[in-house]
Amino acid sequence: MRHLITMLGGRRGVLALVAAVVGLGMIGFAVHAQQTAPQPQRAGRIAVSPGPAAAGASFSAQPSPAQPAPPRARPLGPSQPVHISIPAIDVSSRVFPLGKNPDGTLAVPQPGPRLNTVGWYKNSPTPGQPGPSILLGHVDSVQGPSVFFRLGDVHPGDKVIVRRRDHVTLVFTVNAVRDFKKAHFPSRLVYGGDDLSTPQLRLITCSDFVESIHHHIGNEVVFAHLSKVRSPHAG
Amino acid sequence: MRKSLRTLIPLAAAALPLALLPTAAHADSGTSYQTTLNPINGSGGSGMATVTVNGDQASVDLNYTGLATTFGGNPYPHVQHIHIGANGVCPTMSADKNGDGVVDTVEGQPSYGSIGTTLSTNGDTGPSAGTNIKVAPAGGSADYHRTFTLNSDTMNALQSGTGVIVVHGLDPSTLSKKAQNEKSNLVPSLPLAATAPALCGALSSMPTGGVATGYGATGGVEDLGLFAVGGGLAAGGAALFASRKRAASKAS
Repeated sequence: MRHLITMLGGRRGVLALVAAVVGLGMIGFAVHAQQTAPQPQRAGRIAVSPGPAAAGASFSAQPSPAQPAPPRARPLGPSQPVHISIPAIDVSSRVFPLGKNPDGTLAVPQPGPRLNTVGWYKNSPTPGQPGPSILLGHVDSVQGPSVFFRLGDVHPGDKVIVRRRDHVTLVFTVNAVRDFKKAHFPSRLVYGGDDLSTPQLRLITCSDFVESIHHHIGNEVVFAHLSKVRSPHAG
Repeated sequence: MRKSLRTLIPLAAAALPLALLPTAAHADSGTSYQTTLNPINGSGGSGMATVTVNGDQASVDLNYTGLATTFGGNPYPHVQHIHIGANGVCPTMSADKNGDGVVDTVEGQPSYGSIGTTLSTNGDTGPSAGTNIKVAPAGGSADYHRTFTLNSDTMNALQSGTGVIVVHGLDPSTLSKKAQNEKSNLVPSLPLAATAPALCGALSSMPTGGVATGYGATGGVEDLGLFAVGGGLAAGGAALFASRKRAASKAS
């Protein structure tokens, strides 16, 4: 033993070796603990139903029998969303209403018990009503990953399940995923769009983190449409 | 929470105001307003509308479904307006002053005001076209798109947040006996049901730009402290070890 210590350069040498090993261990742990949100891949088509037939002033009542509309889930009346789950990325969260900031941007979940929950923009349709219902969540908080950390792993065809206060459960199907730079954010496409007649969802979170400014410069938007309605009394 | 991250919080906080800059306000031209059309008087309908203003031109997209489909054997005409000049809200049932179970158009006026613009299918879009059922969308659902010159009263109401879209026309069979026998207080030749509100939505400006849904805690390199301390220990330890080892081999 003494020989070994001498060989390693004395007691200080041993200490130095231990320090080096511990240091490497810490680096290894830190490398292992790195978390990076999956970057969304552009996929799918945003328009899921035929848009207005012609440009300009137009008005059409119910679809004529000669041209039956494609099958789609019927719109519902209003009832606030209370829970969302996205099985493909293990999301299960309560949903709370949110408004706008004074500058006109959407308000986001604030520090506190609701920081890592999903927010519903209260001036948008409730899920199941005609038009796009806006839901948003943080990709991360100061504590680490947040509720929409893995939203970049969502793909067309994935299901988004929303439960409303009236106990109706809605199944939405993802039809498109887009990554927009905040500097060129297509507000009208995301918050409105060409089709206000079909019940839709938009799921929004942050993307495109830029290390040098420590800021997300993009938003990921998931577009989904209503595919199934489960009423509480239908088994 | 990782302790080392605490050092990053001030950085993240400093970056947050960047997220609040309305940089994307000009991504689309014009100003957009929107509303969800919710049922009143138990109409059972639901809808959504957007109004985009460019100069004095307004483009209205309005969709609804679930309203009364026929009236006297014909497609039900649903007159629709932007009401202005009051509180910019939709009435609750407490506005039913005469207790007939229906908030009629006049009873709703303290909430949403009078007609500023008629969302007609053609021709006049002013208040005077408000009860012309010949230019009202007809049927239980509508997919309405029209661009027209917006009058300044309605423009001002949109900007001040007091514009309210109201779609009128109830299924008479859903009303109380009393209400079924009443006449419209707007057009006395029509029954109350024909002009009573069926859908209502207060217009508000569409959200602008992107959303500040990230703090950056997972975006870059985390655990900087751990890397620093670990790196220091490893480098220092290795250097010290090398020098001791050299000293030891010289001594032997």
